[in-house]
Amino acid sequence: MPGPRALLGLGLLVAAARAGGRCRERGWSWNRGWERDRCLPRRAMHSPGTARPGPAGLRFLGQEEAQAIDQELFTEYGFSVEQLMELAGLSCATAIAKVGVLGGRRGSWHCGLSCTSASSKAYPPSSFTTSQPAVLVVCGPGNNGGDGLVCARHLKMFVSLLGYQPTVYYPKRPSKPLFEGLTTQCKKMDIPFLPEFPAEAEFIDELYGLVVDAIFGFSFTGAVREPFGSILSTLERVTVPIASIDIPSGWDVEKGKADGLQPDMLISLTAPKKAAMHFTGRYHFLGGRFVPPALQEKYALNLPAYPGTDCVLQLT
Amino acid sequence: MPGPRALLGLGLLVAAARAGGRCRERGWSWSWNRGWNRGWERGWERGRCLPHRAMHSPGTARPGPAGLRFLGQEEAQAIDQELFTEYRFSVEQLMELAGLSCATAIAKAYPPSSFTTSQPAVLVVCGPGNNGGDGLVCARHLKMFGYQPTVYYPKRPSKPLFEGLTTQCKKMDIPFLPEFPAEAEFIDELYGLVVDAIFGFSFTGAVREPFGSILSTLERVTVPIASIDIPSGWDVEKGKADGLQPDMLISLTAPKKAAMHFTGRYHFLGGRFVPPALQEKYALNLPAYPGTDCVLQLT
Repeated sequence: MPGPRALLGLGLLVAAARAGGRCRERGWSWNRGWERDRCLPRRAMHSPGTARPGPAGLRFLGQEEAQAIDQELFTEYGFSVEQLMELAGLSCATAIAKVGVLGGRRGSWHCGLSCTSASSKAYPPSSFTTSQPAVLVVCGPGNNGGDGLVCARHLKMFVSLLGYQPTVYYPKRPSKPLFEGLTTQCKKMDIPFLPEFPAEAEFIDELYGLVVDAIFGFSFTGAVREPFGSILSTLERVTVPIASIDIPSGWDVEKGKADGLQPDMLISLTAPKKAAMHFTGRYHFLGGRFVPPALQEKYALNLPAYPGTDCVLQLT
Repeated sequence: MPGPRALLGLGLLVAAARAGGRCRERGWSWSWNRGWNRGWERGWERGRCLPHRAMHSPGTARPGPAGLRFLGQEEAQAIDQELFTEYRFSVEQLMELAGLSCATAIAKAYPPSSFTTSQPAVLVVCGPGNNGGDGLVCARHLKMFGYQPTVYYPKRPSKPLFEGLTTQCKKMDIPFLPEFPAEAEFIDELYGLVVDAIFGFSFTGAVREPFGSILSTLERVTVPIASIDIPSGWDVEKGKADGLQPDMLISLTAPKKAAMHFTGRYHFLGGRFVPPALQEKYALNLPAYPGTDCVLQLT
């Protein structure tokens, strides 16, 4: 008869195996979640720093280069912010839609639009606590936030097919017609705007299957003003997947941030920035299919070809 | 030994079959219908084939999907206004999405490999208003998709929107013709497709020059024409039986009544930005767009 310690150890092993099994069914792996009795999504399995290289020759931009290209699009090429923001936000929504129909409260990505019937059987829909899986779009005080508003609106247009409902949190809104217009467009499409940010990461995990991080972009210089410091702290503890627009918020645009947000998806706009070399999530997309060939050449961007008429390109 | 007339008839048959064969290689059919009076003589002199569109007799319009509404002109204008005043969209936004839809639809129906010209050369004819603006956006996205667009833009509003769109095209090395090709045959030689971005849903029948002459020339062109929203020169509700006969129509937002008279091969819906509440208010009954596509093929 095994001793009590052995039995305890056996019991723990069985419990862990069962928990790990339950997690594995959802496509997750057991990790640090013992204390919270919670499964962590696969992204936590990648050790920070195991970044994957991009396609051969693809350049990763420094912050000044990114700003220079942006400026040139407006001043030399005559684009308006409205135009490029619309195309950028559309790219983000398209990339998110391609990766996953959301399933389950805990926010595992279902296999997406390109699923075969075999793999969709591997990820059967779980029961929902909300009537439809929901997406939380967190918008910052600048253009990255604007990209988020456009993204939220296009996600809503995709809702009839893909079944998720965006909700926006937009605490700092510039008093400019551009942002006021984007906000009105979302509200008139019945996209709710939260009056306050969910107090705990667990609340976000309960209510949403995905978080879109549209807080800071390539102009970020490290000074995180409230309420975004608290928001980022909460998001760092969230276990549902996070999709970051252009730069994982809070990261240095070139060096990344090892102890910062670890998104599952990154949508690089125009061209990836150096921070993307530190990205260890599962999905890296390129969006913003508007860079004129002459500008691509001038900066030797070496962008891979977008497929057909798609506005996004999956890099990894 | 057959008589000379029989031999002549046989010779004509052989020649026509060969011409038809040559046409068929290009995806065209030798037209014997309307072609008998107009096209037969004209086709014979020019040694030229009429495209598929001439095969359809005018008026044999195909119905759309069940329940899809075709808008009157006032409704179309009301919806447009509501998008700007109630929903606070900007013209830049919607024009960008509209033009992107047009380029995407064109790429789906006329992939670069289908062009008989050495490059996938497209002539984009832009009118004096928003339809012309849609054309400029379309031209730019066609360039991004690998086509070689050329623009003809004779009447340019002095507004930042249109000046910006023009600059964007020029900075992408899209040529702007200084004058319109004098003959339909020149267009047929140089381009594999014409995009008609002259008049849209606000058109009320008064065609000012140079667009009257342009439309006359386009009506004689044999390469396919893709019209943005309304075949130019058509009454927005009643069409125009003796007007332009485009091969493709890209209806924006929702089709207008004129589309019921459209007899070309490709009818696409574009402009995937109409909020569900607005769709309901006007009972548009739009079919579902596939996945994340910004266009929907109706026929």
